[in-house]
Amino acid sequence: MTVEVTPTTFTYVYFDSAYIARIAQRLIGLFHLENHNIRIDINETTPLAKMHIEFGDPIVINIQSGAFEDFSRPRQQSEPATTQSLGRILLKVRDRLSPEFANAPADEDLTLVQVAIWETYCVARLSRHDIDINRQRWLYNFRNRHGFNDASDRAFEKIWNSNDLTWEQLQNISDTAIALVQ
Amino acid sequence: MRKFFPVEDLARDERFNQITMNDRMADQRTAITTDSRPSRAANRIVPSRGDASDAARGLMHGIFVGEIQALEGAGRTCWDFTTGEEAPFELKLDMARQCWDEARHVEISIKLSDWMGSEIGEYAENTVLFQAACSSDPVLRLAGVNRALEGLAIDVFTTMKEFGEVAGDQYLEFAEDWMLADEVTHVKMGSDWLRKITENDPERRKKALDFQSVVDKLFSYGGTRSESQESPIGLARRFRELAGFDDQEIDVIADLSLAALEERKAAVLEAQAAHN
Repeated sequence: MTVEVTPTTFTYVYFDSAYIARIAQRLIGLFHLENHNIRIDINETTPLAKMHIEFGDPIVINIQSGAFEDFSRPRQQSEPATTQSLGRILLKVRDRLSPEFANAPADEDLTLVQVAIWETYCVARLSRHDIDINRQRWLYNFRNRHGFNDASDRAFEKIWNSNDLTWEQLQNISDTAIALVQ
Repeated sequence: MRKFFPVEDLARDERFNQITMNDRMADQRTAITTDSRPSRAANRIVPSRGDASDAARGLMHGIFVGEIQALEGAGRTCWDFTTGEEAPFELKLDMARQCWDEARHVEISIKLSDWMGSEIGEYAENTVLFQAACSSDPVLRLAGVNRALEGLAIDVFTTMKEFGEVAGDQYLEFAEDWMLADEVTHVKMGSDWLRKITENDPERRKKALDFQSVVDKLFSYGGTRSESQESPIGLARRFRELAGFDDQEIDVIADLSLAALEERKAAVLEAQAAHN
């Protein structure tokens, strides 16, 4: 297994590529992804925080600099933000590699609702690895996609407390919540 | 009690990290793209944006720190000038009422931030707002704070109110609507007092309006606020009219904001060329 971070030196932000690699290695071990080579490409020209996976050898994770940033100290790297963002995307990598998620649409075809349920599922599992997560932030994101109502909150709870869902089960929880209020 | 309080001495606890406009300008990154396709270029904070809830949380925190500074600015105007000679009693009464409103807005912003999943101090506090409230002339303060800054608040609250309305978040929608009503009043106070105090002093009025223009330009920096969908915050024409801006004044701000956006896009192109 290799972990590579590019660029190795940054000009727009004060990030540390070796530090990012160390955090990634820890998470890769935690999620049993040691059999894969992974490259993390950071786009430091934008403060946005989008992430995208390209499967191949290595698996390439494209990340915009906002995903690792300490928003209270612009351009500085945040250890919690780096861990949370990498943790979320690596759990998504693990899901994509498993047969349970074989039917999940390609990233570019995911709807905003589907993105929200998958992110909730990733962040919830991350929180059980003793990684500090603001649950309310993700509940708000979920409500924005499913509506501000009890059915939406019940769906969130169900996903938040689950560990071994398939893509179909995840989608079903979301569909049920949306159908209940229509 | 001390008069004319410098921005560096504002009281904050360890949760806050303050930055200046210079810090912000030193950040060469930008969310504004040179890609002209509508799906790529739109940055307006709307629920259909992929990172909608995070973008709204960030803006909400900006509102929260803005309210604190607006409270501090209006409070200073009550205290820094002698009653009658430098500032009429009625003007100070309006500033005291504004303090009451801003204090309530701070409380509302904290509750909304909790609701959206943000923590106090999660984002940097740009102190440019209070700096606009440090002028030694009360009329310039009213132009800079009540008209330029509270004018921006009208644009921000309208954007957030619409966000809540489309997303179905009634707490956000109604809280922003109530705060928006207060902001319209604050801008109107600024417009009314500016006209009244400078009625027979065209030079002072020009100076105040020039100062407002400088502050408006600062708040338009990077194309953050304009009528283009490429800007995160829109320009709320209707509410600005209610607050006492005439069409020509709104057009000037619209042009200024659009120019700032184009300036930023040109800078992005230049930076990209240098980087490649």
